[in-house]
Amino acid sequence: MSETLAEWLVPHKTTWLHHANPAWKGLLLFLVMLVLFFSRDLAFIVTMACLYGGLLFLFSGFAYRKLALLCLPFVLTFLSSSLTLALFGKGEHVLWQWGIVKISEESIRSGLVIGTKSLAIGMISLVLLLTTRPVLLFYALMQQFRFPAKYAYGFLAAVRLVPIVIEEWQTRTHALKVRGVSFSRGLKGIYERLKLYSVPLFAQSIRRAQRMAMAMEAKQFRMDAPRTFYYETSISKTDAWLAAFAIGTLLAALLVS
Amino acid sequence: MRIANEPAQAVSAQARSRESSGYGVFRAPLAEHSAGAFQDAGTVVSVERLRLKFPGEPEIYFHDLTLHVPKGQKVLILGPSGSGKSTLLQVLSGLIPHSVEVPMKCDRIQRPASWGFVFQDPDTQFCMPCVDEELAFVLENLRVPRQDMEPRMREALSRVGLSFDQLHVPIRALSQGMKQRLALASVLLLRPETVFLDEPSALLDPEGTVQIWDAVKHALHDRTVILVEHKIEAIVDWIDRIVLLDEQGRLMADGKPDDVFRHHKEAFVRYGIWYPEVWDEYLASSRWKAICAERERSALSPACCEERQSAMETAAALSPPVRSEVSGNRPQAVPEGATSGRAPLAPNRSGNTPVLELAHFEAYRGKHCKLRIDKADVAERSWIAVTGENGAGKSTLLLALAQLIPTSGRYVLRGRTVPEHPKKRLVPEGLALVFQNPEMQFVADSLFDELALPMSKAGLKGDALAEKVKRLLQQFHLPSDSGRHPYDLSLGQKRRLSVVTALAGQASVLLLDEPTFGQDARNAFAILEDLEQQRMEGKTIIMVTHDRRAVDHFATEEWVIDKGRLKEIRKISQP
Repeated sequence: MSETLAEWLVPHKTTWLHHANPAWKGLLLFLVMLVLFFSRDLAFIVTMACLYGGLLFLFSGFAYRKLALLCLPFVLTFLSSSLTLALFGKGEHVLWQWGIVKISEESIRSGLVIGTKSLAIGMISLVLLLTTRPVLLFYALMQQFRFPAKYAYGFLAAVRLVPIVIEEWQTRTHALKVRGVSFSRGLKGIYERLKLYSVPLFAQSIRRAQRMAMAMEAKQFRMDAPRTFYYETSISKTDAWLAAFAIGTLLAALLVS
Repeated sequence: MRIANEPAQAVSAQARSRESSGYGVFRAPLAEHSAGAFQDAGTVVSVERLRLKFPGEPEIYFHDLTLHVPKGQKVLILGPSGSGKSTLLQVLSGLIPHSVEVPMKCDRIQRPASWGFVFQDPDTQFCMPCVDEELAFVLENLRVPRQDMEPRMREALSRVGLSFDQLHVPIRALSQGMKQRLALASVLLLRPETVFLDEPSALLDPEGTVQIWDAVKHALHDRTVILVEHKIEAIVDWIDRIVLLDEQGRLMADGKPDDVFRHHKEAFVRYGIWYPEVWDEYLASSRWKAICAERERSALSPACCEERQSAMETAAALSPPVRSEVSGNRPQAVPEGATSGRAPLAPNRSGNTPVLELAHFEAYRGKHCKLRIDKADVAERSWIAVTGENGAGKSTLLLALAQLIPTSGRYVLRGRTVPEHPKKRLVPEGLALVFQNPEMQFVADSLFDELALPMSKAGLKGDALAEKVKRLLQQFHLPSDSGRHPYDLSLGQKRRLSVVTALAGQASVLLLDEPTFGQDARNAFAILEDLEQQRMEGKTIIMVTHDRRAVDHFATEEWVIDKGRLKEIRKISQP
């Protein structure tokens, strides 16, 4: 199951976004998201949403339909949060009122702000997720940002374990079904599930992690020693262009607002 | 067998005198050596007077063990599970104490200048997703320049018999045997003088076992090799020396393989080591003869099952069963209820209806049909062995029978049809599935609760329940202390516990996924005998296995699965 998921997330075309340094890209886009997070100007946010939506659909290397499907959760968030604020938010210039529902100019505005903000941030994070390979990301972090090797390879090893844990979760579900274990509904059921799943999955994961760490050290992995790199990442012109794009979008959005 | 130079320069005079007073026969094939001869340049790994204690456990391991290994020697360390064989390898390589903190003491230790370690579990030896990245990991650790990396990777891979067009293959796409060979290749990149191998074939099927040992023999023929292994048939002719440890890691024997075999045969049997003649000896043993006799008596031998099967088929064809030519040449064991002159199995006996029927049966994973069975019937009290290559669909069959994955087609269990597309799929009553990893099935915190769960479902309560729990624990050689936590048991015990929990309920059809996998010889035979006993008591067994000998001697029928189809049903006749 995790294999088909991984296959589904492979882009059908690599673009300049894929060639940019993953760590640099992550940092830039994170800063952009931070700016967006604190902004309250609707025009600013809408412009950013459009610009990064364009970036996502044009340059991430995926088919439009797939991207639309991936954006669906963010669209739903947009609808739910903006509607909630629009209907129940605070405001003075009331347009329509009935019971607790109070639609005002301000509430519509704040609803749109929150909704568009979450949509924009969602799309930027999709750009990051869809154009970054985790292995390259950690190599770039180690080489360009001096990230300690022990954490980087630790993360990478953990990434390798995730599909194994997913499969084990499935096996555990089957085994519990065979043993005739049924769970109560609601919160009690969640607690029971937690108890019955966590012990074997944790035990296996801890054992695996320990074995993996030992295997890595047996391969002469010395955590703080200097090393060479198989994937040599660097800062290139593409990264400069990306920085220019980021700054450009910020300026353009500021101008509009 | 390779003639090594002075293969038994193993033990100092001091230790030898201790040994001969303590543990029975110890053979030193060559003449006496003085203690001084061991510090010579020929020794690459040695330890003197090693003792070790795991934190939290009272036992001391190794009890002043001394061991010297000269260059180029191939040493096999044998012993029961839990004797600390893997720990010894970790000590000799330096993983203990540098990577794993275990308190240990020794008078002197000499570790190899360069070494590599191949572990048991194919899946947890790698930290990177793809083959090239994993090999590169080793080269990065060695600070090899980037441009030299690829040629070295290809060279190491070819030495172990692997080759890929492009190296960026995900590791999860490889078979288990290929993964272990990849682990060996990454070890070779370290250019080690000594290689430690910790049961590399324990978690491999027979095909993978052959692959890894061929690779080891080819790639390591000129290095010092210290290995631990339980299935020794494939490498016993390649090694120079066997070191036999007892339950606490004390040195029981050290010398040439033939000598150690001869003098410590019963230790080999007791420790469940898979030596080459283990099956032959089992088949000549009194236990096996008792099983055969029991089979004859209760008409459960494969030939009798065959008769019953053909009786079913002829009955189904609505003609009176013709018995004479089938029963004519056998010393007939007449089942109860039959009168002389009549067919031993009348058409209306319950033994005639199959306990399980499949027709146009298909099993799906997601949208794909992973398994297709045109027609198959399972007679009562038969033992079906499901065999086939990896990925052919054997485990899928078990999951399908237990209704854990969607199926279609006709599936009748004990006369009750299992619905094809139910709203909620339930595990059919009377069926129990035992998974490959026993821990996945444990649901309680004590042995008692583990067994009580299925039994209370079956209606047992109070004293009767406690009584049955006690009986089952005894019958299956599990600790009588029923308050113990299931995770506290040894691997063999966990496996038996998972089988017992399946039996404790009302299940009459047992599905087992590789019950003897990774087990030592003693546990494996015990499990097979337990299953045979269950058959005597009326259960039907369907078992996925790779173990050819188990199929030929214990099963009554073999279903061969190939590429998602039931290719062949082979009836097994008793020799």
